[in-house]
Amino acid sequence: MSTHHHPLNCILPPHILRQIADQGTPQQRNKALQTIDATARLRGQRQAFSEVIAVAPGAVATGKERLVYDAEHGSNLPGRLVRSEGQPATGDPAADEAYDGSGATYDLYWDAYQRNSIDGNGLHLASSVHYQTGYDNAFWNGQQMVYGDGDEDLPPDQRLFNRFTIAVDIIGHELTHGVTQYEARLIYWDQPGALNESFSDVFGSLVKQRQLGQTAQQADWLIGQGLLTANVNGIALRSMKAPGTAYDDPVLGKDPQPAHMRDYKNVIYDNGGVHINSGIPNHAFYVTAVEIGGFAWEKAGRIWYITLIDKLQARSNFQDAARLTFEAAADLYGANSLEQQAVSKGWSEVGIDVGGESKGCLATLFGANQPTRSAAP
Amino acid sequence: MLIEYERSGGFAGMRMTTSVDSDALPLEQAEEMRSALEKADFFQLPSRITAETGGADRFQYRVTVHAQDIQHTVEVGEAAVPENLWSLLNLLNTLARTRR
Repeated sequence: MSTHHHPLNCILPPHILRQIADQGTPQQRNKALQTIDATARLRGQRQAFSEVIAVAPGAVATGKERLVYDAEHGSNLPGRLVRSEGQPATGDPAADEAYDGSGATYDLYWDAYQRNSIDGNGLHLASSVHYQTGYDNAFWNGQQMVYGDGDEDLPPDQRLFNRFTIAVDIIGHELTHGVTQYEARLIYWDQPGALNESFSDVFGSLVKQRQLGQTAQQADWLIGQGLLTANVNGIALRSMKAPGTAYDDPVLGKDPQPAHMRDYKNVIYDNGGVHINSGIPNHAFYVTAVEIGGFAWEKAGRIWYITLIDKLQARSNFQDAARLTFEAAADLYGANSLEQQAVSKGWSEVGIDVGGESKGCLATLFGANQPTRSAAP
Repeated sequence: MLIEYERSGGFAGMRMTTSVDSDALPLEQAEEMRSALEKADFFQLPSRITAETGGADRFQYRVTVHAQDIQHTVEVGEAAVPENLWSLLNLLNTLARTRR
């Protein structure tokens, strides 16, 4: 069985299309330009198109522009600016962790995927720390990252949470919500919401793995390690390697994440369980990455990244994500490549079939006369 | 008067619940609770209040109050909480956090 797409629904990564537009035959060039235009319209952006016309490769400035604010335990955002790009450490661990963590996240997106910040266009990375009092949370408010100090207001023997900047993957998680907002725009409800959460965990974990120089095999795949105090029986908030095992505590309860579709939780709280059912796509990514081997951000991460920016749409569900990561793997590494087989295995381990075969978008758009291209890194 | 409180969502995705019988509270706390309900005009609030601001990892609140001859539930997202409801949510949240 072969998966057929209307050409306009088959979205190739812009860098491949740009290469075809630059180097292909006149017909290939026309088709590539048409596709870039359609892609840009589908994404609500003209960026990919204008880049081909106006910007030579490598001409984009890096544009890492971090701003860290202190909310001074109030609710007004962003608060008082305490550190901007290039300034020395403040000595406040929360402010400096927010600065370093957003830098590490920027670097992953730029070095591995050539993405210039949250919006792809150098948007500043704004973070506020010390939000409210006893605020055991971190969030993305649509414009910036916000971090609470956990249970700093309680006596030490009652504290369950440390400050939320303590784990770099939390920072990568929040910043990735910004990327998703500018790209797939996954709605924050049920399966699209759980995918939104999962992509944040995936890239959050990749920031940590890259910082530690760990392969997929070596990484702990934990989200929020160090966030829970010694009063809690738990090692982290979530485990992508073994969802449902991160904590089991008399006060906090047990980690509710499923690792398989048969355990999917239909709930109304938490926007339909977006932080719960994200365990399923999280585990699919983990299996894919370990199956491919090496550094997870290089190949598995690239497949997921391309899927997030060029393939998923606001209401995509788990099945769509499986099909589209499978298609992205063919685009990047070829149909039936080891990488594509790894994606298939990743989803099948969580009970989702990628749905037939996918030769990728090059075959769909150009048929047998595929333009040549260099392999993705 | 019985008040049920649930907070879900947030980065941690943990659900926290508590229920409060105002008759069992110390007088001062019971008075604070009564005053916060009045300030929020709780029984006149819509049962579901949502925000269009986007964002992610915000808390979701669900409060049910059972009074003598009336019962009302309000579900509200953190970004959409009306200013005059915060006193009640903060009281309930502090109780829930210190009890757990």
